[in-house]
Amino acid sequence: MAIQIKVPTVGESISEVTIANWLKKDGDVVKLDEVIAELESDKATFELTAQSDGVLKILKQQGTTVPIGETICEIEPGAAQAPQPPKAPATASTPQPQKTESKVSGGIKEMKVPAVGESITEVTISTWLKKEGDFVKLDEVIAEVESDKATFELPAEATGILHIVAKEKETLPIGGLICKIEITGESPVTEPQEKKETAVSASSGGSDKSYAAGHPSPAAAKILSEKGIPANQVQGNGVGGRITKEDAVKAQPSTTKPAETKAQPSQAAPVISSGGSRNIRKEKMTSLRKTIAKRLVSVKNETAMLTTFNEVDMKPIMDMRSKYKDQFKEKYGVGLGFMSFFTKAVCAALKDFPAVNASVEGDEIVYHDYCDISIAVSTPRGLVVPVIRNAELLSFNQIEGEVVRLATKGRDGKLSIEEMTGGTFSITNGGVFGSMLSTPILNPPQSAILGMHNIVERPVVKNGEIVVRPIMYLALSYDHRIVDGRESVSFLVRVKEMLEDPGRLILGV
Amino acid sequence: MQYNVTVIGSGPGGYVAAIRCAQLGFKTAIIEKYDTLGGTCLNVGCIPSKALLDSSEHFINAKEHFKEHGIDIPAPKVNIKQMIKRKEDVVKSNVDGIAFLMKKNKIDVLKGTGSFIDKNTIKVTSSDGKETQVTTDKVIIATGSKPTPLPFAPFDKKRIISSTEALTLTEIPSHLIVIGGGVIGMELGSVYARLGSKVTVVEFLDSLIPTMDGTMGKELQKVAKKMGMDIYLGHKVTAVENKGKEVVLKAEAKDGKVLELKGDYCLVSIGRKPYTDGLGLDKVGIETVKGQIPVDDHLKTNVDNIYAIGDVVRGAMLAHKAEEEGVFVAEQMAGQKPHINYLLIPGVVYTWPEVASVGYTEEQLKNQGRAYKTGTFPYKALGRARASMDTDGLVKILADKQTDEILGVHIVGARAADMIAAGVTAMEFRASAEDVARMSHAHPTYMEAVKEACLAATANRPLHI
Repeated sequence: MAIQIKVPTVGESISEVTIANWLKKDGDVVKLDEVIAELESDKATFELTAQSDGVLKILKQQGTTVPIGETICEIEPGAAQAPQPPKAPATASTPQPQKTESKVSGGIKEMKVPAVGESITEVTISTWLKKEGDFVKLDEVIAEVESDKATFELPAEATGILHIVAKEKETLPIGGLICKIEITGESPVTEPQEKKETAVSASSGGSDKSYAAGHPSPAAAKILSEKGIPANQVQGNGVGGRITKEDAVKAQPSTTKPAETKAQPSQAAPVISSGGSRNIRKEKMTSLRKTIAKRLVSVKNETAMLTTFNEVDMKPIMDMRSKYKDQFKEKYGVGLGFMSFFTKAVCAALKDFPAVNASVEGDEIVYHDYCDISIAVSTPRGLVVPVIRNAELLSFNQIEGEVVRLATKGRDGKLSIEEMTGGTFSITNGGVFGSMLSTPILNPPQSAILGMHNIVERPVVKNGEIVVRPIMYLALSYDHRIVDGRESVSFLVRVKEMLEDPGRLILGV
Repeated sequence: MQYNVTVIGSGPGGYVAAIRCAQLGFKTAIIEKYDTLGGTCLNVGCIPSKALLDSSEHFINAKEHFKEHGIDIPAPKVNIKQMIKRKEDVVKSNVDGIAFLMKKNKIDVLKGTGSFIDKNTIKVTSSDGKETQVTTDKVIIATGSKPTPLPFAPFDKKRIISSTEALTLTEIPSHLIVIGGGVIGMELGSVYARLGSKVTVVEFLDSLIPTMDGTMGKELQKVAKKMGMDIYLGHKVTAVENKGKEVVLKAEAKDGKVLELKGDYCLVSIGRKPYTDGLGLDKVGIETVKGQIPVDDHLKTNVDNIYAIGDVVRGAMLAHKAEEEGVFVAEQMAGQKPHINYLLIPGVVYTWPEVASVGYTEEQLKNQGRAYKTGTFPYKALGRARASMDTDGLVKILADKQTDEILGVHIVGARAADMIAAGVTAMEFRASAEDVARMSHAHPTYMEAVKEACLAATANRPLHI
């Protein structure tokens, strides 16, 4: 049974500390009372000592800020006598199929948050697809994990009994412990390893998690009932994962449940009540939302962003579209939308004005000789921006196909990180929601973004006469640090010209 | 008077409910129609029968075992009057204890028969006919049960007796016939067998203590026979007649053979039935089903403010079950959410040796089709049991075949009633047989038999057999 080391209460007014320094590494053998980390509060720095002999398992990385009482690491006492050799040499010296590597580790496979992308530091467990105590097979998808960029599926790293450590909606750093899999005999391991497994599990005896995991003690059961928390939402820290009275006392209703917070009456300033509801609701930001917030603010702070506008007469494109849309659909299986026209026009214009397709990297400007167009897709989780690669080379139908594919994946939360990274220019269409005019925010490190809007019939003057035409306003926000006004304005005019005269798209003039 | 809670009946269910109510801040009254508090358990049940069981045990030890222990005394004689008097003293000190507890918890004790006028009003009629009324927000019915008579031979309380009379006999019967080989029959039968009576047990079913694990009944039968009791299983009693100086019983075996027994007393212990006479349930619209008051999972009746606990509701008729329910209802009323795991309410028979069990019986597991394993360990192989010459009995552990979780603990043997608490604890925490087997048990103790039986259940590896 691992001993959880929690952030101790260090002073009356201190509610959180930052892990300044881990003096021991994950997997190190530590001794009782040995200093294992330095913690920093806003008042002082102090040392954290090990509360037991054993093997250290770090749950919160250096630099993270954790509230008082939160578990920051665990010490597995039993393992102290037999410190495991570091993983890398072990696999290097024994040329075994890669899968078996995960099966060792004393009959329990600890699954940690994998490194999913360069800039990703934490993930949120969005859904557990398997329950505590379920039997899972190697590579079977057991959970959905959400990062600020994408949702990805978490496959089991071993065959055995699942023991969930991180609960749904919990946010973990890369390398944080997600779950443990108690490896059962079914996995095809080699002979000597099997021996090792049984030896270890026998020595650890009844302390392994078991059928009784999640079983509340009589007192715990009463407390949980009174709190209205189902036992399966509580992490049992007793022998074999049993829920102890202490677990029940500490258990808190899951915060994502709106029902929990809904009931709190507002205690705001005295307002003469009209009898209507005065309730407020508080929900924790998802990591996706937090990242969106952080990045949008930083773009505003770190770039010299401004916007130029223009308008497009959409009649030529609309005429062309209504003329060919049935044939197009029949031939390619996708509808002919506006996105392909805009993408093609943008790609052509980017060739003429490479600064708009560039980005700033330190003291250098990075020019891209290709057009990877990010298209903003609104999903229930927030805005995502999948990328159409080498859009300049794609035909209309290929672009339309890509748009449909990426938008569908986006809405289903199935986009991979790769599909969302590396765009060189963005298109966003606020028009679908009815926006007439807006100033889009850059999608860093890109230097420009084109905003499409709704198409409205407006009176315009053509050849000295007032005529009714379907008009769309266009907005181009750009980073003035590397894109000059001449370039940005000319770029947008170029886009306008090509859209108003689609023949130019073919001829490249 | 106005109360938050009024409890009707002061048995172990009622008085415990009243104490818990008082602890939780309710203004509480308890109504009792008898002169003393404590109900059947304290006055004519558990406590007096245990008092006599212990007396008879001392006697049998003095008579049969002292010699072997190296204690020579002249042949001991039973002074039944003193034995009954000591029993009454034990009862008195216990019921006085309850009176003290009521006082300590500021619970008003209302002497008389409680009867509903409406759901918030109860009339209390004292033995001298004086009537008072109390109004109450909530009511807990805890009126318990009474011995069931034979339909063709009601208790005459002289020759055809119930457990109540069996506890106050002034002579030792020369031949006591016991109808019903359940808990009460076996307990009182063994008392008189040891005091020198010839005891014959006639049971309708095919085993003694039939609700318990089959092994327990068989083991108890062996011991009872050793004690000199005659046991007729599978016999249906057809007639019991009080002939003045003696009582004559006729029973029929399954093969139609007629059994005729003559004795001086006939103890009818075929069960108990819920007691709700004079309670005025019709005034509040509660209808009993087979005598029981129907309740929901919160022990609430069909009337919103009226609860019922103990022997008047479904479940085993056990004092400790009623106590749990008393606490449960009180806490429920206070808005808490307590639990009762009925599977883990232990059943105990205070014969010698005692029988105690918790969880599923082997028969139940078979019916469920559940894969299980068994581990048993006999007292004979136990150092402690040999030292005290209490070598009758065994411990039987039933565990899940796959998970090793303990599913049932069954003990017949010395101290079984005390030992079963360990089984309850283990099962409440869903321990496996190996868990218990790996816990240190002090030596030499009877509890070592539990550990050994767990070892046997784990992987058939007991150490001392």
